Amino acid sequence: MTPDTSARRFGIPILLALLVLGPIGIHNQYFLHVLIVIAINVVMAASMWLLGITGLISFGQAGFMFIGAMATALLTKNLHWPFWIALPLSAILPAIISVPVGRLSLRVKGVYFFLVTLAFGQVVAGIFAYFEKPFGGWYGIRDIPAPAPAALFNTLDKHGFYYLALGLVVLTCWLIHRISRSWFGMVLWSIREGDLLATSIGVDVPRTKLIAFTVSAFFAGTAGSLYAAYYGYISPLVFTFEYSVNVLVFIVVGGFASLAGPVSGAVVLTLIPEAFRVTGKYQMLAFGLILAGSMLAMPDGIIGAWQRVFPPRRSATDGVA
Amino acid sequence: MALLEIKGVIKRFGGLVAVNDVSLQVEEGEIRGLIGPNGAGKTTLFNLISGTFPPTAGVVTFNGRDITRQPTHKMVRMGLVRTFQHAQLFTSFTVLKNVLIGLHVHADNGFWAGLRDSAATRRRNDELLHRAHDIIRFTGLAGREYDVAGSMSHGYKRILQVAIGLAPKPRLLLLDEPVAGMNHGDVDRMMDLVRSLRDQQGITVVLVEHNIRAVMNVCDSISVLQFGRKIAEGAPQDVSRDQRVIEAYLGVADDDAA
Repeated sequence: MTPDTSARRFGIPILLALLVLGPIGIHNQYFLHVLIVIAINVVMAASMWLLGITGLISFGQAGFMFIGAMATALLTKNLHWPFWIALPLSAILPAIISVPVGRLSLRVKGVYFFLVTLAFGQVVAGIFAYFEKPFGGWYGIRDIPAPAPAALFNTLDKHGFYYLALGLVVLTCWLIHRISRSWFGMVLWSIREGDLLATSIGVDVPRTKLIAFTVSAFFAGTAGSLYAAYYGYISPLVFTFEYSVNVLVFIVVGGFASLAGPVSGAVVLTLIPEAFRVTGKYQMLAFGLILAGSMLAMPDGIIGAWQRVFPPRRSATDGVA
Repeated sequence: MALLEIKGVIKRFGGLVAVNDVSLQVEEGEIRGLIGPNGAGKTTLFNLISGTFPPTAGVVTFNGRDITRQPTHKMVRMGLVRTFQHAQLFTSFTVLKNVLIGLHVHADNGFWAGLRDSAATRRRNDELLHRAHDIIRFTGLAGREYDVAGSMSHGYKRILQVAIGLAPKPRLLLLDEPVAGMNHGDVDRMMDLVRSLRDQQGITVVLVEHNIRAVMNVCDSISVLQFGRKIAEGAPQDVSRDQRVIEAYLGVADDDAA
């Protein structure tokens, strides 16, 4: 029902074509590596954003990502299962675990929810760090096999991985976008505006939040699985609270208003530190300055600034596609 | 059979008895006023009916079904909707979107339906969009569809609140102080709306209100609460002459009190 803006009609296909065709000629391994890291971060940012539109920020996302990564690592390395089976299982397992976790943590709101989810992330990392068998302890797990066929996912040539990551990003974004613009998504937004009012018009707020929490854990697990398969190495030092905060920063810098926010935030904020890598020890300083500057200049994020320049067409059923 | 029936409802908050053994019946098609001095337990009674919290004792039945411990969101589906004392709105949404959210109980609002987004869902959406516009027209908000709710005047905010409450197609609407803080013109507009809810939509209305003029004009009957107890009930003109009601509002002179 929404009139297609020209940006949507042409922008996204062109962007996709660029993403698919662009890297064919590129054999710079570093460049492809950065693109793959971006892809993992985009999936994480999108997953956190989906829960974020109910007004909840989970600092446990890295925990769910870790569970997904661990599932892939154990299934492919110890049980020699193919990655293609491990990938969906690594998304479903965190989703299942998120149900009891969500039931507990979603009872509280605001800052208490941050704390409970933060604790969850720490507990996950703690358990994996404590048990060397089978989780590898603080050393983590290395030599996680790359997806088969090996020729496509050879670590020397990252093209195969790039397309796998791109596919997962497109799928994730498409699904989350669709959810966020459905009635279900509109209900999520309404909870952010006020859950008392949402309840009074018939929203089962706890259940709705739990579904969002579970879906968000599902995609975090996907990102974790991709991470494990790509790096071939995971450890409790990777999926930290700090990483969850980074993902939150992607969303804040990108903007909350639409899915394009977390996506652009993840892209830009993965690129910026890379761009300043040449400055050596000043890399994080430059990053920090840009972060602070962008928050001052674009309080509503990249998307907010974009919408101020190019106002989105007012559509009656914004949210109900 | 009464549409809403409250039997012996008690609510204690620690040592405070906010609602003390209140019983009342609201017939279908009635506009019932609920008045009483501050702290009489009117809003608490609303919260008990709408399931915000359960009563300590007593039974609430709606349309013959015991709803005493039902969660609020289920009551909405049964046809019982309440509004809040303060202008509770989805403030950053447009008027239209506020009403659409109110309609979500009639939509394919599930997670999988949203993911599938079938043709049937889309047809249903068109239908609901029409209904949203109907509600906006009915409540007199036409022309303001794209105003951001939070930016409207107080009077329109309260009307939008009623419009949201109307969207789930309730049989019984509980309005908590719909005209609080309004000027005369807005009060009249709201009271016309309340009357047309009943006359044109067949909705039974229970309203808590401090504005006595508004209550006297619009209500078929009035229940008066004081200190958590029902002290009077009846037609507006009878209630306004009731000695206990006058005392409740004006107090009792010391020499009479003995």
